[in-house]
Formats: sequence, structure tokens, C-alpha cells
Amino acid sequence: MAPGYVPDRERERAADRKAHNDAWAASGLLMSGVIVWGGAGYLVSQWLDNQLFVMLGLLLGTVTALYGIWFRYGRS
Amino acid sequence: MSTLLVASSSAALLGRLTEGTTEGGKKTFQSPTKNDFDFPGLFSHNGWFTKPILIVILMTTLVAVFYVLASRNAKIVPSKLQFAGESVYGYIRNDVALDAIGHEGLRFAPYLATLFSFIAVNNIAGIIPILQIPSTSHIAFPLVLAILSWVIFLAIGIKKNGVFKYFKDMMFPPGIPIPVYLLLAPIEFFSTVIVRPLTLMLRLTFNMFAGHLVLLLFVSGGEYLLLHYSNHVVGIPVGILSFFMSLVLSLFEGGIQLLQAYVFTLLTALYIGGALADEH
Repeated sequence: MAPGYVPDRERERAADRKAHNDAWAASGLLMSGVIVWGGAGYLVSQWLDNQLFVMLGLLLGTVTALYGIWFRYGRS
Repeated sequence: MSTLLVASSSAALLGRLTEGTTEGGKKTFQSPTKNDFDFPGLFSHNGWFTKPILIVILMTTLVAVFYVLASRNAKIVPSKLQFAGESVYGYIRNDVALDAIGHEGLRFAPYLATLFSFIAVNNIAGIIPILQIPSTSHIAFPLVLAILSWVIFLAIGIKKNGVFKYFKDMMFPPGIPIPVYLLLAPIEFFSTVIVRPLTLMLRLTFNMFAGHLVLLLFVSGGEYLLLHYSNHVVGIPVGILSFFMSLVLSLFEGGIQLLQAYVFTLLTALYIGGALADEH
């Protein structure tokens, strides 16, 4: 164990760490959902020449990311 | 020849790079642009050795010398320099490495402390007179640092779990209905492998870029108002206000520069911690 590192604080630190990590991970996931499925929707819309697919892709990405966030961090 | 060299060198060091045009004897105001970040070479106009490179070399040397001097002849009652070095290192070790990674964080404390010091001094160069450009506002430097952090956290995750299990844990958390995996797995992969290094790089670069642009605007605006607009009633007072604001914002920038170095280091530590953590 490192000097200056108090084992009593381990639990508290771990909770802090988790909260920190979750916040960054959740926002990253939301952003990725919009980029990945929104991007896929954009490509499909270019292919089929129909703007609707961009919106579908964005919605799909957002919903999936929100589901992922809820699944990982929201059920306690 | 040598006069020319000195003149071009000082212009490369200090000069405002974009100039307004003169129209009818009156100079127009050219607001700072991204061209103000492209410095000419110090020794030849198109040379690679520009002011940001000089700053990176200077600052790397400074950090190295600082830590060597601070840790040499370490005593139980520390000298001022040793105290300063231990404060920075101790802060990163206890409050970043151990907090964000856990007890295994001790292994990464030297890397994180180096990373923090390097980014911090290169950012702070933005408000040091004469240097006055954060070298990290050039995307190449944050790019390399982000790639380094990216390689480290991926390598640690793969080393700990193996390639297959690492990516499986990342992309397929157990307990989700199978059709949803089809939608969720690409997002999870993208957010860990692509968004993380990208945001690390962009956050640092553009915080420094925007901060430098704001300072440049107030300084060059003040200069313009005082030199070319002094016959107008607002010229002098607003020019002085503009210079004053540039000083206030320099202090503000100093805070942001340290904060961004801290954020970069903390996120690197969190990613390493995530790679080391046992999933569920």
C-alpha cells in the first residue's frame, strides 16, 4: 500500500470514481449513438434520396443510447 | 544578412501575422483569424522550426530540469524546490492516479504526472510574455498525446482481459435482449474506441485555440483603437478598456489552461481505470 493512501477512504474513493466515470461514459455513449446511427441514416438517405432516413437514424441512435445508459447506470 | 535573420526571427516570434489593409489612408481592423496560429520558421521562412516547436522544446526541458532538480538530494526536510515538485507529483498521484484508478494507480502516477506537467506548461506558455502562444493550440501536440493515452488504455485492457474478452465486455454487456445488441454494440465500440481519443484531442486543442483567439482580439482591438481610432471619442477609453480586459482574461485563461491539463490527465486516468476494472 502506498504511503499517503488511507485504506478507510477506499470505499468513498471508489464511489467517487464510479460517479465520475459514469458521467463521462454516459455522455460519450449518447454522442456516439447520434453519430453512428445518425451517420448510417444519412448514408441511407443519400443512397435512397429520402431525407426521412436521417431523422429515423438520429432517433434510433438516441433511443438506443438512452437505453444503453439506462441499462448500465440507471437500474440500481 | 544577419540583420535580416534577426528581423525575421523577431517578427516570427512577436509579430501579429495578419494585418489589416489600408483604405484611403485609414487602416481597417482585421480581426484575428486562424492564420495567426501559423508562424513562419524562425531560421528560414518556410522552415519547420517555428515558435510553437521552440516552446515545446523549452517547456519539455523546463519540466525535465524541474523534476530532476526537485528530486535530486531529496531530504526529509524538503527544500523549496523539492516541496514544489512533491506537491505537484503528490497531487497527481493521490488525487488523480489513486482516486481514478484505485490502488493499481500507483504504477501510472509517473506517466500521469508527466502528462499533466507537460500539458500545463505548454498551455501556460499562452500567457507568458514573449512566448504568448499555447503550443497545444496546434492540433498535432494534443493529437500525439491523445494517441498515447488511447494506446495505453487499449493495451492495458487487452493485456488484462485478452482481445476477445475485452471487446466482448465493451460491446456486449450481459443481460440485454439479443436484437438490441445489434443496435447497441456499434455505439459502445464507437464511444470507447473513437469518441474517447477524439474528444481528448479536440477539447484541449480548441480550448487553447479559442482562448488565444480571445486574447488576441482584445489586444489587437486595443492597439487598433489607440493607434488608428484615437480621433474618435470612443477610441482612447475603449482601447484602454480593451487592454485592461486582455489582462483580466489572461488570468482567466491561466485558470482554464491549468484546468484543461487537469481534465486531460483525469480522463486518461479514468480510461485506464475503466480498462483495469473488472466488468460487473
